[in-house]
Amino acid sequence: MILDKIGIISCSGEECLGGTISRLAVRKMMEELKPGMVSTLCLPLFIAGDGGEREFAEKYPTIAVDGCSKCCAKRAIEKYSNKVAGSVDVAEIIGAEIALEKPLSTRNLTTEHMEYVKKTADKTCEIFDEILAKSV
Amino acid sequence: MSKIKVIPCSGIGKVFGLLARESALMVTQEKCPDDTETLCLAHVVTGDNEVVEKIKGETCITMDGCAKYCSKKSVEETGGIVVKSHKVPDFMKAHRGEEHGTGTYLTEDGWKYAEELAEIMVEEVKEIKAGVN
Repeated sequence: MILDKIGIISCSGEECLGGTISRLAVRKMMEELKPGMVSTLCLPLFIAGDGGEREFAEKYPTIAVDGCSKCCAKRAIEKYSNKVAGSVDVAEIIGAEIALEKPLSTRNLTTEHMEYVKKTADKTCEIFDEILAKSV
Repeated sequence: MSKIKVIPCSGIGKVFGLLARESALMVTQEKCPDDTETLCLAHVVTGDNEVVEKIKGETCITMDGCAKYCSKKSVEETGGIVVKSHKVPDFMKAHRGEEHGTGTYLTEDGWKYAEELAEIMVEEVKEIKAGVN
């Protein structure tokens, strides 16, 4: 089966920097790295939605992008929908201490933060390409 | 009184989620850091014990990006007391025709709108505090 879309769900956590990075990495995938090939959904809607949102990971192989080691997105996808096709933990990429720093407004992002976003998006992209290659 | 919880939805698909997130960060980090705090909605919806304990019976303000009201519903289900619930598009009337950005960034008009949303919540924080003290 050749896939036309791959799902990516970020935690977008509000309590730490990792959440901000997870969110921006998914947006980077959508807009720059894999435009038109990513399907996403808000994590709260995925869990609380009543319109079949939980079927998301059954329709699409889905990658979870989590901001901290609690891995809310991964756990929720696997609890309510299907096993994830891949997962990214921002804390493993940028270090747990940095990931747990205060969340940032997008207007306060530095080049260093944007480098974290790039690294997280690159890792997500790697998993994305592996899933795609397996589907051909 | 413990800090008032200000919880946005942080929706990822459209600019409304980012407006909710940025306005909540303005309130909790810049405008009322001593009286408010935010909690991770992902922790709330997954039932993280630590966050559930923090939210149960506590005064909350929610800012949602769409009519699904994920933040309001999830906070209520977790036992938080939502005293004020908002939806970003409800305040759009005075901003028709403006471009506010995307789920990734806000334009100058977007930041002004986020500021306005934050000020609405700041006034509510003051009212809540006045009612208690």
